[in-house]
Amino acid sequence: MRKFWIDTDTASDDAVAILMALQAPDVEVLGISVVAGNVPVDMGCQNAGYTVEVCEKNVPVYRGTALPLSREPSYAYFFHGPDGMGGMNYPATKTPIQTGGVEAMVNAIRKNPGEITLVTLGPLTNIANALALAPDIAKKVKICYLMAGAACTVGNVTPAAEYNVWFDPEAAYAVYHSGMKMVQVGWELCRGEANISDSEQADLRAIGTRRAEFAIDCNRQAVATNKKWLGDPSLPLPDPVTMAIALDPGIARRQGDYYVDIAYGQANTDGMTIVDERNVLQKPKTVTVVWEIDVPAWKRMLRESLL
Amino acid sequence: MRKLIIDTDPGVDDAMMILAALRAPELDVIGLTTVFGNCPVEIGTQNALRLLELEGHGDIPVSKGCGKALVVPLGEFPANVHGDDGLGNASFEAPKGKPLARHAAQFIIDTCKAFPGEVTLAPIGPLSNIGLALQLCPELPKYVREVVIMGGSCYAGGNISPVAEANIYHDPHAADMVFRADWPVVMVGLDVTQQIVMDNSFLNKLYAAQTPATDFLKRIQPLYQAFHANIYGFTAGEIHTHDPSVTAYLVKPDLFGTLETPVHVETNGRCMGFTIADPLKQWGERRAAKVCTRVNAEGVKNLLYDLLAR
Repeated sequence: MRKFWIDTDTASDDAVAILMALQAPDVEVLGISVVAGNVPVDMGCQNAGYTVEVCEKNVPVYRGTALPLSREPSYAYFFHGPDGMGGMNYPATKTPIQTGGVEAMVNAIRKNPGEITLVTLGPLTNIANALALAPDIAKKVKICYLMAGAACTVGNVTPAAEYNVWFDPEAAYAVYHSGMKMVQVGWELCRGEANISDSEQADLRAIGTRRAEFAIDCNRQAVATNKKWLGDPSLPLPDPVTMAIALDPGIARRQGDYYVDIAYGQANTDGMTIVDERNVLQKPKTVTVVWEIDVPAWKRMLRESLL
Repeated sequence: MRKLIIDTDPGVDDAMMILAALRAPELDVIGLTTVFGNCPVEIGTQNALRLLELEGHGDIPVSKGCGKALVVPLGEFPANVHGDDGLGNASFEAPKGKPLARHAAQFIIDTCKAFPGEVTLAPIGPLSNIGLALQLCPELPKYVREVVIMGGSCYAGGNISPVAEANIYHDPHAADMVFRADWPVVMVGLDVTQQIVMDNSFLNKLYAAQTPATDFLKRIQPLYQAFHANIYGFTAGEIHTHDPSVTAYLVKPDLFGTLETPVHVETNGRCMGFTIADPLKQWGERRAAKVCTRVNAEGVKNLLYDLLAR
């Protein structure tokens, strides 16, 4: 069994990504730590806990950091709905929510050196705090898949920045400079053809499992907002695309290693992921950046997790 | 007695602060936590143990903390000020004790929760441990009595850049977390510490006392004096009294005059580490800190003399 740890600001697309990991037959999710991001940390805990419940699994959910390092939180209700779950107002989760998310993550990594695949689906505050508390974990994580950034392309909250990085760019800076083995899956990889179209959503929901209905229903506000706001075809699922690559790295069809920096304190480029594509800075390459994914394979994996 | 955790990067002036605090009957030092700054955190942790053991306080726990800032990368250590060993290259033997296994931030959280409302934090290095403790435990402020910082400079210019004091500069993000949190903060910064000058005549009188503390200080301070002579052109062995002023404030706060003002920390660019006082609250609401702006310098020196020489 491969060992995963998921760090998440659980709203609708996070829920689907968590679901995919929990359904993967060869993966053991050791824990889920929640961070402020799409929604406040307590709401994220509820959503993560409920997702675990929908999958009928027994995975611990930990409350992590409630505030970004240097900023006021700026939640994404407009995208994910007032509950982060498309306004579905799911019942209060029965999954127990534990405290100490950062410490729990550190302990799990130290107990399993070189074994844990870390998947981050939200702002990087928990990871930055974990690295401050335990710098040794940078070399003890097997590999970290980051749903983060926009590699040499437009942002989604500002022209320059993707939401997860923009929400806490100082934390992202600390993580990107930590020396951990990292793969960046930018938001651009879930756009266009990688969107789940209206008819694909209908097909998936028609699978009829509780998981399938849950995965589509909780994303209903994201569909509406994405069409209107970003002019994309339908449902974008950045977190599930990231999880798909973590589960099957072959889904990343084209990637490369680069020095990647994070802009902070720069006003109009705050939270920008600066990929030194041409290596003009001649700095050590720190991050693997995914450029292209196998869209049919990604969609097959999503479907299989809902059967 | 006021329960005190000293968060420190020892450090020549940290040494005088700690030795004086350990000798003050008003203060009950219940732990030292260490952070990078004047020297690497591993070396500073050895120094903390050494300072406790010097006069029989080896029972006080030491907890090692952050080796770098929460966000900004690690720079070079000021070996020209504090020596490669943080103690003026005075070549001491290894201490006997060991630090706790717990990280300093966790030690601070656990200890403050164990004595709600009783513990004062005295950070005299970069504020990384305190910032991390606030991140891990946002309710920490309600357990803490007071935070008395050596750091910052509102109106006196900087010592590591034209505007920044070194402790704040080394972790400006953590510093801003501390000034943003809802707890009583006292800033003992360059506004006052540069007004308190110890010269050879004061130091020689101190060394003449020949207590273990003054003998120790006599060994470690020459390099620190040489640095001050080089950078400020001093000719009589003068040094500024940075960290020890916190001990003085804790024992006799009425030696200081304060300005109640919110403080913001610049985290970017060449003004990074500037502590900006905003007494008119033009940058919005933030709990006012007490910024020390006036000091009875002779009173501080006399107090430190009495603590260290007796």
